[in-house]
Amino acid sequence: MDSQYENELRTLQMRFIGKIIAVFTHEIKNYIAIINESTGLIGDMMKLGKSPENELPVYLDIIHSIEDYIEKTTGHFRYLNRFAHRMDAPLSSFHINESLEELIALINRFANQKRISFKQGYDNDMPPVYGNPSLLQLIIFTFVEKNIMELEQDSTIIMQTAVADKSVLITIIPNGKRVEGSSAPIPTELLDIIIKELGGNISQDRGKNTVIMLPLTSSTA
Amino acid sequence: MKNMKQKFSNLLRDIFHPREIFRVLGKDRYASLKIRIVLLDVLLSMIPLFIVITISYFWFQKILKDDFHKQLNWEIQNTKQTIEFFVDERLSVLRFITSSYTYEQLSDQKILTETFARFKKEFGGLVDFGIIDSSGIQRSYTGPYNLAGKDYSTQEWFQEVIIRSYYVSDAFTGYRKIPHFAVAIKREVPEKGTFWILRATINIDTLQKYVNTVNLRSNDDIFIINREGILQTPSKFHGDVLEKYTAPVTIPRQEILIQELQTSGDDCKICGFATIKHSPWILVTVIRSTPYARIPSIFRNELFFITMGSILLGLIFTIVMANTVVNRIKLSDQDREKAVGQSEHASKMASIGRLAAGVAHEINNPLAIINEKAGLMKDILEVSGNTPDNKDKFLSLISGIAESVNRCRTITHRLLGFSRRMEISQDAIDMNDAIQEVIGFLEKEILYRNIRLELNLQENLPKVITDKGQVQQVFLNIINNAIDALKKNGLINVTTYAKDDKFIGIAIKDNGSGIPKENLKHIFEPFYSTKEKGEGTGLGLSISYGIVQKLGGTILVESEINKGTTFSVELPLKSEGD
Amino acid sequence: MAHTKVLLVDDEKEFASALAERLQLRNYDVKSASNALEALGIVHSFLPDVVLLDLKIPGMDGIETLKAIKKFDSTIEVIMLTGHGDVRSVEDGMKSGAFEYIMKPVDIGELTLKINRASQKKQTS
Repeated sequence: MDSQYENELRTLQMRFIGKIIAVFTHEIKNYIAIINESTGLIGDMMKLGKSPENELPVYLDIIHSIEDYIEKTTGHFRYLNRFAHRMDAPLSSFHINESLEELIALINRFANQKRISFKQGYDNDMPPVYGNPSLLQLIIFTFVEKNIMELEQDSTIIMQTAVADKSVLITIIPNGKRVEGSSAPIPTELLDIIIKELGGNISQDRGKNTVIMLPLTSSTA
Repeated sequence: MKNMKQKFSNLLRDIFHPREIFRVLGKDRYASLKIRIVLLDVLLSMIPLFIVITISYFWFQKILKDDFHKQLNWEIQNTKQTIEFFVDERLSVLRFITSSYTYEQLSDQKILTETFARFKKEFGGLVDFGIIDSSGIQRSYTGPYNLAGKDYSTQEWFQEVIIRSYYVSDAFTGYRKIPHFAVAIKREVPEKGTFWILRATINIDTLQKYVNTVNLRSNDDIFIINREGILQTPSKFHGDVLEKYTAPVTIPRQEILIQELQTSGDDCKICGFATIKHSPWILVTVIRSTPYARIPSIFRNELFFITMGSILLGLIFTIVMANTVVNRIKLSDQDREKAVGQSEHASKMASIGRLAAGVAHEINNPLAIINEKAGLMKDILEVSGNTPDNKDKFLSLISGIAESVNRCRTITHRLLGFSRRMEISQDAIDMNDAIQEVIGFLEKEILYRNIRLELNLQENLPKVITDKGQVQQVFLNIINNAIDALKKNGLINVTTYAKDDKFIGIAIKDNGSGIPKENLKHIFEPFYSTKEKGEGTGLGLSISYGIVQKLGGTILVESEINKGTTFSVELPLKSEGD
Repeated sequence: MAHTKVLLVDDEKEFASALAERLQLRNYDVKSASNALEALGIVHSFLPDVVLLDLKIPGMDGIETLKAIKKFDSTIEVIMLTGHGDVRSVEDGMKSGAFEYIMKPVDIGELTLKINRASQKKQTS
């Protein structure tokens, strides 16, 4: 890849990671805030101490929710960790479904702002793929982000994975009305170069579905 | 002249230190490098070429000249010898006559005339004979003049012939205005203790004949003059017999002298002077057409084309070579920059992984605390219910949870800061804050290893306009190295200072095992690592070095075995780099 | 049945005290230590059945502490408290004789299960 594209790619990657971490951080802050509020609520209730017997189930409930959110936080950090470590090596063996799941989990909050939800249709018999997982996530995110921007509220995005021949297919299906006249720009040229270097390709059909094809083994670095 | 010198030295200076002239090209340093290589090469190759050509030219010219001179010398020698022979022959004839006949016989007019007639037949050019006695009186004479009884006693030639026994005269105008010269022989009569002289006048034509046999080119002249410069034989360009030869004459000390004279015209005049033995004459050869002067001009023309040709060839070749080489350098530089860029990027990416792992790890503890405290509350509630006795306990647990929540917030906040920094690249940075952030990342590690941390951060440190993310990457790397060097227990001292009004400095010092001198000079090299395989890439310091350079700063290391290592980073307040 | 003696070694005092209390409520006899030196001292005097050991404690290396405990009394079972991503330490720990590991934040049910199993193992040895 020539150096101009290299630089563009690096900038794109940095922005992508920045966005993911930003969304993640907001989510975690949210969880922590809930924990904080819940704890504060118990404290307040105890200080007021009106009817102790009735409050017991309430307290237990709140504590249960606190424990829930602690687990959510820990789980979310696990996703971040996995996501971050995909960048350690340019090529590695990874599971597409896992990497998609983690990506969707990390950007869920972002989609939720427009009440857009994700549905998954993953092929469970997916073999592991040898390639560049972080670049793949970058490409997928670009298209998902575009769809999120262009769809109306309460829409859904379906993520499908399937095996075909010696490759895997990832399909992003926007399900909902498009906002009038919206068109979020994406660096198609750069993305094409990236996917080609990985040995795959990107195609879009009339239904505005995006299909990303990736060979089971990426031959080029 | 001085102006030219100044201009020339300016030109030299510009070529080797591109300034205004090459500023446009200087923007593309490869183009300027190519030009410098070509110029230098051409100059260096032209100099010996010119030296060789000049030497060859002059050497060749000298050879030709020497050759020509040798040839000329030989020709003059030949002519001189011929004329000398002619003279000697005439003298011999007279001697023969004086030995064959007596004074008495030849004093007889009739015998003299007869003898004269006979010799005249054999030796062309004889004009007259005369017998002169010891007192200088002409006793008998045969010839066209009326010279019988003439007294020669006072004449110079008479004195000379007495002394030398022979005499050859200069030319003089004679019978019918035809130039003649005279030869005379003294015959000693030992039994009578006296002498007599036989004198003959000879036509200059005969002499001329010998001179004219010399094969000459049209522009050349050969003639005989006497010591006073009077022409004895006619000259092509310089006058007729008995006229004065006006050009400068050098009487040779040895027999022949060849002189090169520069005339006002282009051509070089060569004069050959040769003394004719037994005569008062000097043979003069004037060569105007020096073939060796012409040959070099032909040589010069061909030489010119050859020189131009080879310069052109050399120039083309040098340009092609310089182009190829510099292009290769350019490519390899680009490759290297690309590789460095790639590894920087890879390192950045890897650091994200570390960051995420670090944060995830850190947040575990406060989360665990919240979990336990909430769990404990649950346990107490389940066991003993919501009794007033427990109230205080609960409140303290709740406040404990709140504290941990705050910790979580701080830790998470760092992540947010990091994500924002992925966008900004130039900001006014408070280096103290930046360092403290980095230390924040590594706090747990430092505490865990029981390392003491000393911070000497200068107050009111001037802000630096630079890329915070990159600068922090450098500090992260250096402090990480310090931690690794110390393993457990030890001291890390971080000092910030304002070096001067243009730079600030950050010194990170550890009191670990130090770095041996041999390793010190390699420490910033890529892939240089003293860690075991699998631990560290060895890229950290070289990337840090690259970053600091790009930001316009310097990074130095000092170390002493068993005393410790200090890394000093100096950064300009206004970064000119990327 | 005697209460199972548990030594909790963790440098996070807030965490340790809360957890210790929770375990006390569940009838375990719990003592806490916040660094390796203290821990070893208590091992010698308290003679716990099970040690809950956070690997990232200051002072001696967590693994070394584990080895020291096993050296003192190999029947004492050690359960490692780890954060996520500490895979290598866990491996090392298991190789050095740890019984089990549990990740923070801790699920109290899971923890008590593991403590009981460890204690059972100790009794049978």
